[in-house]
Amino acid sequence: MKNKKLSGNLLKCLVAVVVALLVPVLLGGSSYMCLVACFVTIYTISASGLDVLYGYSGQISMGHAAFYAIGGYGAGLLSEYLGIPLFISMFIAAAIAALIGALLAFPASKLKFHFLSLATIAFGEIIYQIVTNSPGRITGNYNGFFHSKLDIFGLKLDNNIKFYYFGLVCVVLFLIAKTMIVRSRTGRAFIAIRENTQAAEGMGVNVRKYKIIAFAVSAFFVAFAGSMYLGLVGYLHPDMYLQKQSVLFVTMMLFGGSASLAGPIIGAISIEILLEGLRTFEEYQMLIYGILLLIVIVAMPGGIVGAVKNIKAGILRRRAQKLDKEV
Amino acid sequence: MLKTDGVTIRFGGLVAVNKVSIHVRKGQITGLIGPNGAGKTTFFNCISGVYKPSEGHVVFDGKNIEGMRPHKVNAAGMARTYQVINLFRKMTVQENIMVGMHSRLKSNFWSDLLRLPNQRKEEKFVREETEKWMEFVGLQDMRDHEAGSLSYGKQRLLEIVRGLASEPKLILLDEPVAGMNSKEKEEFDALLRRILNLGVTILMIEHDMKLVMGVCDYVYCLEHGSLLAEGVPEVVQNNPDVIAAYLGGDE
Ligand SMILES: Nc1ncnc2c1ncn2[C@@H]1O[C@H](COP(=O)(O)OP(=O)(O)OP(=O)(O)O)[C@@H](O)[C@H]1O
Ligand SMILES: [Mg+2]
Repeated sequence: MKNKKLSGNLLKCLVAVVVALLVPVLLGGSSYMCLVACFVTIYTISASGLDVLYGYSGQISMGHAAFYAIGGYGAGLLSEYLGIPLFISMFIAAAIAALIGALLAFPASKLKFHFLSLATIAFGEIIYQIVTNSPGRITGNYNGFFHSKLDIFGLKLDNNIKFYYFGLVCVVLFLIAKTMIVRSRTGRAFIAIRENTQAAEGMGVNVRKYKIIAFAVSAFFVAFAGSMYLGLVGYLHPDMYLQKQSVLFVTMMLFGGSASLAGPIIGAISIEILLEGLRTFEEYQMLIYGILLLIVIVAMPGGIVGAVKNIKAGILRRRAQKLDKEV
Repeated sequence: MLKTDGVTIRFGGLVAVNKVSIHVRKGQITGLIGPNGAGKTTFFNCISGVYKPSEGHVVFDGKNIEGMRPHKVNAAGMARTYQVINLFRKMTVQENIMVGMHSRLKSNFWSDLLRLPNQRKEEKFVREETEKWMEFVGLQDMRDHEAGSLSYGKQRLLEIVRGLASEPKLILLDEPVAGMNSKEKEEFDALLRRILNLGVTILMIEHDMKLVMGVCDYVYCLEHGSLLAEGVPEVVQNNPDVIAAYLGGDE
């Protein structure tokens, strides 16, 4: 039975990958639509990273836009001032973000849920201030930061379709990494902490250590996504790293469904499409997130994935009851 | 196995545990009884690292462990269960036991991420080992059920076996039969014997006097945070102070 379930999941993943490969064709090669698809890959990695933190280890962050900024600016600055190729500096920037995440988690891991959310908001604000008032204006402050688009050892990703396939490879690699982490001793420690911190500690889990690991992993994911954005667009503006960006990540993760592989993907796709559709109402973005979050929290706590699971369980139960009656 | 010497803990002005010295001998079942609010659970928390005693020493297996963090105490060979059931409710029965094995395992973040050969081998061992523990308490048919969906009595059993999965030298049980049905209670003596046969020493808080008198080798009685009496069950049971404390004859 376990094997059947496993191969079923594998099949679903394969279908998803095939569909994803065909996306540019399905979109008729439209450059704009492919750009949207590129953003979906970036947001999928961001929301999945946040899911490691929130969905699995049960810690909230309302400031992950900070890591998105560290990834984007970090990769750009390393490339601009140290001459490291952007593709390499993306990984270095993500690693730096992971380190900063770990340092932040060191004191933050002691905080209770709502204090943690306040602390991460403050952290987001600090990074925003640094970006807008940088020493020697290296980030370009309010003028924004320009960089040439991504090329990987001479392979120029100079159109959205090419970048989309690069993004897709990144998504697959990051999701494999996420799966390996959450289905292991480390992942079990995360979930145990989420479910019952006291008991986790009593069972030998070094709670602080695993909270720090979860923070570092999620920072790495989100920062890498942030550096992908720079490689795609070639321009960063501080206003992309306002509080609402952090709320966007949280909304995507919760709307799709936390503590799952598919949830953050579904969240990233649906909310990115929604946002593009509602571009003309840009000033109402926070309102839209607010409404979506309320819907999720009040009406479907497990997000879309959770709702689908509930419906499936309901059908199975009804079928079982029917069988019972017939017998 | 375990010796405490004058363990005291104060919360503000309240002395919840007052100069308690006990000795838990290897291979025995030691009971800890006392009326509600006597400080039994608080005493467990002092031993298992949840609280650092204000005074006194806790010597476990020859080492001073007072003030050690709970996860270190667990790794040192002491497991425990909780009075209020503290399972990982959304995890399955099997996963709960897997977490119980945490301190015995060696894989780390990198070997998990990269699925190194040692990690794969260890995970295979984990699955086999959890089978053994599920059978130990008869939960093998419930392996994929969420812990929170089990009956109260089964949750108690799962908590015990989750503790045992770390292969401890000593297990602390806080009111293990509370919430069990009469059949489960009846079978509990035998389970305790089987735990002893694994080479695990037991220290147990329990209100069920029949059980305590039936299985314990030695009993301590706490009242208002202080030791009131100690000895073999018959002696403690017939101690007039203990009888008075239980009848609620407050002083
Ligand atoms: N963290 C704490 N802060 C303040 N007081 C506490 C704390 N923990 C326990 N106490 C107090 O210590 C006393 C002993 O409580 P404890 O739970 O240890 O009793 P118990 O013997 O386990 O009782 P029961 O049989 O009802 O489980 C109680 O008066 C309780 O209010
Ligand atoms: Mg108690």
